[in-house]
Amino acid sequence: MLQFGRFALMRAAMAFVTLLIVSFVVFSLMEMVPGDCAERYLSYKQTQGVAISMADIQSERVRLGLDRPFITRWSTWVMGAFQGDFGDSCILRVNIADLLGTKFWISLAIAISSLVLAYSIAIPVGIIAASSRNAVLNNSLRIVSYLGLAMPNFLLALMIMLVATVYFGETLTGLFSAEYRDAAWSWAKFVDLLKHAWLPILILGWSATAFALQTVRALMSDEIGKLYVTAAKARGLYGAKLLWRYPARHALGPIVNSLGFDLNRVFNELPIVALILTLSEAGSLLIDALAKSNDQQLAGAIIFLLTASIVTLNFLTDILLAIMDPRIRKSILR
Amino acid sequence: MSSKTIKSLQADKESYFTASQSQLIWARFKKQRAAMIAAGVLVFIIVIGILAPALSPYDPTIAGRDRDYLNGAPQIPQFCDKNGCSLRPFIHGVERTRSAETNFRWVEEPNEDIRYYVEFFVEGSEFDLFGIIPMDTHLFGLEGDEKMLHLFGTDSAGKDIFSRTLHAIFTSLQIGSLGVLISFVLALIIGGVSGYYGGRLDSIIQMVTDAVRTIPAIPLVMSVAAFVPTEWTSEQRFFMIAIILGLIGWPTLARRVRTHLLTERNQEYVLAAQLCGASAPHIIRRHLLPSFTSYIIVDLVISFPYMVLTETGLSFIGLGLKDPVNSLGVMLQNVTKADVLLNYQWYFIPVIFFVALVMAFVFVGDGLRDAADPYSDAKK
Repeated sequence: MLQFGRFALMRAAMAFVTLLIVSFVVFSLMEMVPGDCAERYLSYKQTQGVAISMADIQSERVRLGLDRPFITRWSTWVMGAFQGDFGDSCILRVNIADLLGTKFWISLAIAISSLVLAYSIAIPVGIIAASSRNAVLNNSLRIVSYLGLAMPNFLLALMIMLVATVYFGETLTGLFSAEYRDAAWSWAKFVDLLKHAWLPILILGWSATAFALQTVRALMSDEIGKLYVTAAKARGLYGAKLLWRYPARHALGPIVNSLGFDLNRVFNELPIVALILTLSEAGSLLIDALAKSNDQQLAGAIIFLLTASIVTLNFLTDILLAIMDPRIRKSILR
Repeated sequence: MSSKTIKSLQADKESYFTASQSQLIWARFKKQRAAMIAAGVLVFIIVIGILAPALSPYDPTIAGRDRDYLNGAPQIPQFCDKNGCSLRPFIHGVERTRSAETNFRWVEEPNEDIRYYVEFFVEGSEFDLFGIIPMDTHLFGLEGDEKMLHLFGTDSAGKDIFSRTLHAIFTSLQIGSLGVLISFVLALIIGGVSGYYGGRLDSIIQMVTDAVRTIPAIPLVMSVAAFVPTEWTSEQRFFMIAIILGLIGWPTLARRVRTHLLTERNQEYVLAAQLCGASAPHIIRRHLLPSFTSYIIVDLVISFPYMVLTETGLSFIGLGLKDPVNSLGVMLQNVTKADVLLNYQWYFIPVIFFVALVMAFVFVGDGLRDAADPYSDAKK
């Protein structure tokens, strides 16, 4: 138990350091944007007819704390970020945490649901594909996987839009029906969300499924040929029982480990799919923040949150793996 | 058995044992049917891309627009119509009408009495083949100047989608190659240093690399691309995007280089080189890198389609390349409009070429990976 606690603590520390490095990269990027908040505020005032001098900008910088050294500002930002406070967006002039709020959680829920969908298809199908010698099945699965890799999600989303508009006369866009968009959360709103969210989940799950299918198949094919499987077969085990109890347990370890990278991939595709389907969650907010208004505070906060959820997932899967597999927690501690 | 066949058998064996690494890889690659077909498709698409200016009948920019055929449907050359057949393919003239019936949208009515014959090697707009040879002969076109041929239709500005597609393929190939090259150089330097020196430097570099890898690349790239000033020229944007693609592509390759170097650097031949007084860069370059060139080539081929797709995605959302440059992303920018979805589906034709290009790259990459792995036969 003590050993396990030490393992968990070490992993948590590593996750924390990773987040620190990430926050440094993100913050430096935000700083690289030409123009800071002081200039933004005052250029707005200028449009209202107030004359602005360089001294005004300088004093505004002092007021906002922008004259402090880079490291100080970064540490303030990081401290806030870990508590979920990202300050104000100086273009929209609202608190970023309020603005993101549920939008971020909806994005995360969509991304994770698409991963769940992907693996609930990929694991059984991948295992069957690896254990069967049916050439037709294997080849068709191979083509489906390659299509999933070659057809980026946004092209798939476009194609679905095309078919839906031409043949069904529906656009299938958005996350909420008009009457629920600004309503408070209720059961009815939740049901409405589910009615709209299946399409983005399906689209995002599509290439994740293709990827996962290939991984599961490759890992299973490696394990199935090993001696312990033959030994189990010799003891009279067969069929699903054999597959689940022996090779699958070993093959699924690396898969659990790669969940974090899968989430990374889904996040990569989320903004573009969100744009096509006109979803109103964090992904499309990011596009708004970047493409339309160059709002670096908002963009930085979103990227940080996305990365933080990946790091958290990585941490959780590490712990899960250690619970499942004693070899792993021993190897780290040595 | 005659002595001659025995001799030739021996020669076969001899050539097998003395074959170079690349000959062995090629021999294994040839055995994979899917990869060979994909390689054929790939070569075909690359040739099309390189010869784009000569193969496409018109200038893909606004200079080559067809004023009388905006949002025009694809025109497929035919040999026969109600007025009889001809050996030379032709298209019909069109008349544009609009009325309350069509919701005041321009609709083309083919006029079957007017024929425009397709000609080969026609003279048209000037261009530089391979960027150096000035030419004005295009593979095909229509006789005369009063009518233009649009195999894939035209877009809202009247630009020929066929010509744009060919040029877009070339743009994607260029940007992919450049991005791959940049990430390759970065990966070699960072992975090389990390793997060769090992120890604490290696741990620090690995920690930073891992941290950078957890940041979702596209949102990160979006935030970098958004900072590109709008007044930049298209060439500047092009190089900026290529650099960004290279910057996000390096970690995977760098890791591979490092892992390999970590195992190789303790081999005797490295020690021998060190004892001869060779410098570290010299050993990395001349002794260590050649030991896994084939793996690097495979990795580069595999990472290529992702570069192309990332560029497409970025341009699609308006943060990548911009209009005068043709790329798939630029061409797809307007297709989400209901108007396009309902009425102008030929905007989607280029997608087929790109899925083919990416698929071909993925298949060739997989085939190469299997071929470069000396144990792949034993595994199966």
